[in-house]
Amino acid sequence: MKQHKKPFRLSNLPNSLYVLFVVFIAASLAVPKFLTPGNLSNLILQSSILLLLSFGMSLVLMTGCIDLSVGGILSMTGVVMATMLRMNVPAIWAIAIGLLTGVLFGTMNGLLITKLRLPSFITTFATMGIAQSIANVVSEKRTVYWDPKPSNSLIDTLGKDFIRIEFGQTAKEVLTISYLVLITAVVITVVMLLFNKTTLKSRVFAIGENEEIARLAGIKTHFWQIGIYAASGLLAAMASLLVLIRTNSLQPTTGEGLEFQAVVAAVLGGNTLKGGKGSLTGTILGALALYSVRSALSLAGIDTSVVMIVIGAVLILGMWLNETIQMYEERIVGMLRSILMGRNHGHNA
Amino acid sequence: MPKLLELQSIGKTFPGVVALDDVSIDLLVGEVHVLIGENGAGKSTLMKILSGAYQSDSGSLSIEGIEVLKNDPKKAEQLGIRMIYQELNLIPELSVMENIFLGHELKLKGQLFLNKRSMYEKAKEILGKLNIPIDPKIQVKHLTIAARQMVEIAKALSSKAKILVFDEPTSSLTSSEIKDLFAIITSLKATDVGMFYISHRLEELFMIGDRVTVLRDGKKIATKNIKDITIDELIEKIAGREITEIYPHKKQTAGEVLLDINGLTSEKFKNITMDLRSGEIVGLSGLVGAGRSEMARAVFGIDNYKSGSVTICGEKLVKKNPKIAGQKGLSYLPEDRKEQGLALPLNVRENIVIAGIDQLFPNHIINTQKETQVAASYVEELNIATPTTEKLTRFLSGGNQQKVVIAKWLLTKAKVFIFDEPTRGIDVAAKSGIYGLMDQLAKEGAAILMISSDLPEIIGMSDRVYVMSNGILAGEVRGADITQEKILELAFSHVKGELITDETA
Repeated sequence: MKQHKKPFRLSNLPNSLYVLFVVFIAASLAVPKFLTPGNLSNLILQSSILLLLSFGMSLVLMTGCIDLSVGGILSMTGVVMATMLRMNVPAIWAIAIGLLTGVLFGTMNGLLITKLRLPSFITTFATMGIAQSIANVVSEKRTVYWDPKPSNSLIDTLGKDFIRIEFGQTAKEVLTISYLVLITAVVITVVMLLFNKTTLKSRVFAIGENEEIARLAGIKTHFWQIGIYAASGLLAAMASLLVLIRTNSLQPTTGEGLEFQAVVAAVLGGNTLKGGKGSLTGTILGALALYSVRSALSLAGIDTSVVMIVIGAVLILGMWLNETIQMYEERIVGMLRSILMGRNHGHNA
Repeated sequence: MPKLLELQSIGKTFPGVVALDDVSIDLLVGEVHVLIGENGAGKSTLMKILSGAYQSDSGSLSIEGIEVLKNDPKKAEQLGIRMIYQELNLIPELSVMENIFLGHELKLKGQLFLNKRSMYEKAKEILGKLNIPIDPKIQVKHLTIAARQMVEIAKALSSKAKILVFDEPTSSLTSSEIKDLFAIITSLKATDVGMFYISHRLEELFMIGDRVTVLRDGKKIATKNIKDITIDELIEKIAGREITEIYPHKKQTAGEVLLDINGLTSEKFKNITMDLRSGEIVGLSGLVGAGRSEMARAVFGIDNYKSGSVTICGEKLVKKNPKIAGQKGLSYLPEDRKEQGLALPLNVRENIVIAGIDQLFPNHIINTQKETQVAASYVEELNIATPTTEKLTRFLSGGNQQKVVIAKWLLTKAKVFIFDEPTRGIDVAAKSGIYGLMDQLAKEGAAILMISSDLPEIIGMSDRVYVMSNGILAGEVRGADITQEKILELAFSHVKGELITDETA
């Protein structure tokens, strides 16, 4: 009996792969300082923060919802942690409470959306404002600093480099991997492991495709949806911790606009607003592509206010590339078929 | 044989419709119990109550003599009740094996990680038993409708099943696939599984059924042993009246050609040529996925097509645009009236004037009073059951919603009507109202194309019938040739045996 095999398709690869490829080559050629160990280290560090946010965003998108509050949660949990450090709370407690705040806020999002049946876009739009305002009020809109003390030396330690390889004397010739990148790597590995090796993928795809099907299969849809929002809140709080460690202080507005970037990275990675499908690998590539663009622009001395124009353009480029590859592929395959099989399959009308 | 299941005095009401009224039914061990009745008779609702998807308003459910107090999908699954739904319930982006085990995945020790190897082996074993040559790792989106149906059955059998419900399982299968399915059902009977089998195809139930229960308008009419009943008695019980009564359309001489479709081709259908004449009701039949609705959408200008032409009342449509098609006198009443035909949050008046608003108010200044007058005249003419023209359409019954859609197109002075599944999900009384309206339109000189998956409806209403199969116009039947057998033969004529749609290897 003939076994039908899984067809391989170019268009099944995440479009962020092509975007990353295009962006990376273009940046390397156009900006000489781009392809240096120093800059690449910096690129990876910067994209770590976005990566955590966009991982949460991707999972939410796969369920057919959206979480616009991740930037707000980042600001709020950051202010919570920084204020506690300032009040001499031991770092480990400050971090734990900060992460818990993120989980609780995410859970609240999930409860509003499932139990009150509110639309996710508007709900998280509202809670974004709430979280950001809490950050502003608590911090009185000022950057929160704290004095280095033994009780918070953990923050200092985590800010250090884990690996440092010197290719030369100047900063750009030094490859560094900090503990922050290591933390991110561990977190995303765990999430991907859970996604691919447990029922997580089936659950989010089923809920995103058709909640009724999921319910009929005996899946506790509300439980999973709330869990996903809680995870998104936790990941936002983790991203906030990364920011706090890196800058050794916290600006209350630090998360503003990050939800937009998280959506861009996730959508570039093949996640859609309709849900029911998506890819976490794609999201990683999407986040890297996004920060490659930002890095190249800043190295080239282009004003930061242009960044959003370019990011918008990158998103459109990504979507267009995917469409084009799909069309192109069909034609190629159609032509190959008609040549090989000696008959016309109608793809080349 | 011992009783496996008993449903007693089940009642269920939806807004505007009594779906089930005091229905009692039981199921024996190793039995195939056929449920039969017209669309809207309550078969699917009854089965959804069994599976826990709906809660009944009254009545009781007991399994092996023990009453099930609060049924829900999880509980029904634990009780061993499995549904194979009419509409496919698979997640396209997941693999066959992930779909088969959705909700009851096999896990490694510790209950966190999936045991993918044993899921693969088990899925392969189930598929092998059913004689289905599909790789368990392939994503469902690459499978044909028939293959997906097979996966649905495999899914139902993947865990210990006591009661299986087949909801029109053969509606998209080829005859050889149906034979395979019946072989599976026969072997399941030997393992003491009890099965409910819903079908519209009468010949099937004599092949596979042990007992039959007829439902009509939400009421149980009779339960009989299959060997004690003839096909004619059954038809009489299903319809409850002479068949010709519901279909008022009397054949008449067709007039001039109003719609001429010539060589229409897109990715979904190929080289479709057909015409519609004044005074005619023409049926368009075929299997689900044959490309009928897609073709209709292209004719109306909603979707694009590659080549071919559409001519309305002698005028060729140059631009593919629904607005222009509407102005030329074409109207399209979509399959999914709630999604595409009506603006549910708007009221009856607003829905009726929505497409004809330019003709009604050439200066683009809207006069609500005039709208109300116009809407009220259609409400009266079409006998739409609504207290006022201000009632929101989502509170109307299915039949009355459909009439609002028809009124909308009457206002635009349409001459050609494409009805896509015009009576799906509406009760028998409302159906005959719609049929009467269609007949009246035809008498007044309109041309009607009726897309329908309901064969009795196609046979009862059509002057002639086009049949599409897999995107191709398989043929046309007229007069005495309009029979179930002839139409089905054409409908299956271009269905390929392949299970995977777009293999590119």
